[in-house]
Amino acid sequence: MTSHTYEILLALGVLSPFVSFWILVFFGPRLGKPTAGWVGVALGMGVPLVLATVVLIGWRGEVASGNAAELTANAFRYEWAMLGTVPATVGVKLDSLTVGMFFMVTFIAFWIFVFSVGYMAGHSDEVGGKSKYHRFFAYLSLFGFSMLGLVVSSSLLFLFIFWELVGLCSYLLIGFYFDKGFASAAAIKAFITNRVGDFGFLIGLMLVYFQLGTLDLDVAAQRFAEQYAAGTGIFASHFTLFGWSLATIMGIGLFCGAMGKSAQFPLHVWLPDAMAGPTPVSALIHAATMVAAGVYLVARVFRLMTPEALMFIALIGCLTLTLMALIAIVQVDIKKCLAYSTLSQLGYMIFGMGCGAWIAALFHLITHAFFKAMLFLGSGQVIEGCHHEQDMRKMGGLRKKMPYTCWTFFIGVLAIAGTGIPAIGIGLGGYFSKDEILAVAYTRSYEWGKDDFHKHVPGEGGGHGAVEPADGGQAMLASYQDHGQAHGDDHAPAGGAQGIFENTPALPKWMFWLAIITAYVTPFYMMRCWWMTFMGKPRDKHVYEHAHESRLMFIPLVVLAVGTFVSSYFLFRPLFADAAPAATDAAMVMAIDGTADTEAVHHAHSFLIGGVGFAFAVGFAIAFLIYRNGLDLAERIRRVLAPLHTLLVHKYYFDEVYDLVWVKGCILVAKIARLIDTYVVDFLFDLAAFVTERLAAFSGLILDNQGVDGMVNGVAKTTMDVSDVARSGQTGRIRNYVLFSTAMATVVMLVLFWWAMQAGNFMTATSAPPVG
Amino acid sequence: MMSIGLTEYLVVAAVLFGAGIFTMITKRNAIGILIGVELVLNSANVNLVAFDRYLERCRIDGQILALVVIVLAAAEAAIAVGICINLYKNLATVDVDTAAKLRG
Repeated sequence: MTSHTYEILLALGVLSPFVSFWILVFFGPRLGKPTAGWVGVALGMGVPLVLATVVLIGWRGEVASGNAAELTANAFRYEWAMLGTVPATVGVKLDSLTVGMFFMVTFIAFWIFVFSVGYMAGHSDEVGGKSKYHRFFAYLSLFGFSMLGLVVSSSLLFLFIFWELVGLCSYLLIGFYFDKGFASAAAIKAFITNRVGDFGFLIGLMLVYFQLGTLDLDVAAQRFAEQYAAGTGIFASHFTLFGWSLATIMGIGLFCGAMGKSAQFPLHVWLPDAMAGPTPVSALIHAATMVAAGVYLVARVFRLMTPEALMFIALIGCLTLTLMALIAIVQVDIKKCLAYSTLSQLGYMIFGMGCGAWIAALFHLITHAFFKAMLFLGSGQVIEGCHHEQDMRKMGGLRKKMPYTCWTFFIGVLAIAGTGIPAIGIGLGGYFSKDEILAVAYTRSYEWGKDDFHKHVPGEGGGHGAVEPADGGQAMLASYQDHGQAHGDDHAPAGGAQGIFENTPALPKWMFWLAIITAYVTPFYMMRCWWMTFMGKPRDKHVYEHAHESRLMFIPLVVLAVGTFVSSYFLFRPLFADAAPAATDAAMVMAIDGTADTEAVHHAHSFLIGGVGFAFAVGFAIAFLIYRNGLDLAERIRRVLAPLHTLLVHKYYFDEVYDLVWVKGCILVAKIARLIDTYVVDFLFDLAAFVTERLAAFSGLILDNQGVDGMVNGVAKTTMDVSDVARSGQTGRIRNYVLFSTAMATVVMLVLFWWAMQAGNFMTATSAPPVG
Repeated sequence: MMSIGLTEYLVVAAVLFGAGIFTMITKRNAIGILIGVELVLNSANVNLVAFDRYLERCRIDGQILALVVIVLAAAEAAIAVGICINLYKNLATVDVDTAAKLRG
């Protein structure tokens, strides 16, 4: 297939949910309760899933035959608009990352859509007394459109547009039951928190626009490398903030968007509250796809990052993964527990990105998407079955009532815990993906900067038995020095292999150790969650008796469980290993491959086998020992560690602090503004009004009434007076008129007579009449 | 014997004119006023004819003008009598002092 074929297939896949959205918006109420849902399933995600499968199969062939890079280079860009002198282009970013993400999103979303039909069948779809069933699937379809658009966008501008659209969908779906106060409050919280992050994103975007003069991802990366090599553009600026250069600020700005969407440390507060939405929404948006968009974004703009920006990313990821995992231990709400585990895992991905474990982070994104979607659907099944009970303390012993849910959930627990057998390299997704992140972190912490480190970097390819694509081996431990030779093709950065990462510092060791410790915490809280829900004795009779399973809802569970198995090492990792050179020209990308045999890799491996290889077993064992006999032992431990427990239950008082600082701060600022408004602005207004009023009084009462009106009235009065004199002659008596006119005639005659006398030519009459 | 000249005619005309004016001023009866008007007009006629007879420059013009005045007086009398009848119809009197609605 040509690149146009792929692009058209992907574009159709993006547009199909959009069509579904409009159909459901206009004809949804007429389609009725089950039909509207199935339309959403078929058109909203069914079609994209088929297209994604076709693309994925075709693309794997292209990767194997080495055509992928050429197809990527030939991708079409349509010039949508000119922003000043910068063209805004539209196009499909065609590479392995897009294809892999596209397939993951469609596959998981499809099964969650199916699950939603079953979920909504058992749930009230009424909001404010009216059925909003079609609206739910319209929102889901719109989300599908936005998320897929986000994945395929070749331009940062369009990425941002779709980015905001998924934020909108998240808002709409969290607040689906908007007549419930807590749901609409959670929706607003999510939206506003994301705005904070998006503000940073926008700053990054503007810096890209102004400094790199483009919004296209590839062109931007190329210019970034060129400007670094030449020391021009963004690298010529002497502007600094907190000691960061402008280039670093650009990277951090872009990462701020990811912090909001992926709910990283300071902006994590919205995600647990977002669980107020319907459970399929939690599974789809707030566990599997949308929150992973932040990681995807970092992967996309990886080439625009400086070492300082990456260090910042690693720091944020490290804090998130540690702090959130600890909160997850004390949660009793099954969805909240999963939400904090999601936060922690997202922290791992972001941490991985910051370390340079580009492949491993994306790999973890995919595996996490599968098992976390499944875990959330499982929790939805439990909540649905237990009569909308979310408190795990009231559950227990549900394995008999819902066996499918129980064991698929268990698979999810195994996967997130990173279960595997270290010696022979068999395990579930999390075993490979998380451990690879840790291995890269180990390398960055302990091997980085050693004199002999770079000597052991594999040059070309390397032993790579298990992974079949030829390109996969390139990314094994591609340090910056060998990057150019390792790829040896047109993927090499424009500025040469000696890139911006030449002086990247080693990772602080405490970051690595926090990640390792959290790897022990993760299995513990997941096992605790599973055990409290499904094992032991039933603790609440009412809940237990009500429990049941729905067929429409456990089919997706089983499918996703199978997906969790097969999405491990062999399906997706090679794809991302291929994407690494194409999508990130950065030399920073590191990967630890299971079969590599260099000394550095060997160190990492041997350490990790001892270090976290059996972390899952340790975590599971502790959870089992504590929760084996109900909650009594846990209760005793809680009393011993009461202050710590309180701190964790209150989530480190983040909500309280934010409430105090931001909400109360906002209100305080508003009050101050109101005071200023009342006493300064209003005073000025009143003053202006007073002056105006006085001026108006002067002009109206003095000028107008006395000046202008005086003239007019004066004319009238004069006329009146003259008339009064004149009318005195008009008596209405004929004799007066006659007398007057006679008198006047007499006067006239006398005057004429007198005048004639003066002139001396008085007419003389002849005394005698002429004869004849 | 004193010959009858222009002066005598003019005196007669002046007396007629004065009588007419006096009648118009003193009478309140509309018909009486009308008679006064006729007297004034006829005094003018006397003057016209007299000047026509005694002034050489004026040959026949005065007589023609006198005829015009007679016709005019006839027309005027017709109209004036019509007015008087209407006055009577409206006010049941021909006293012109009662018809003073247009007084200023």
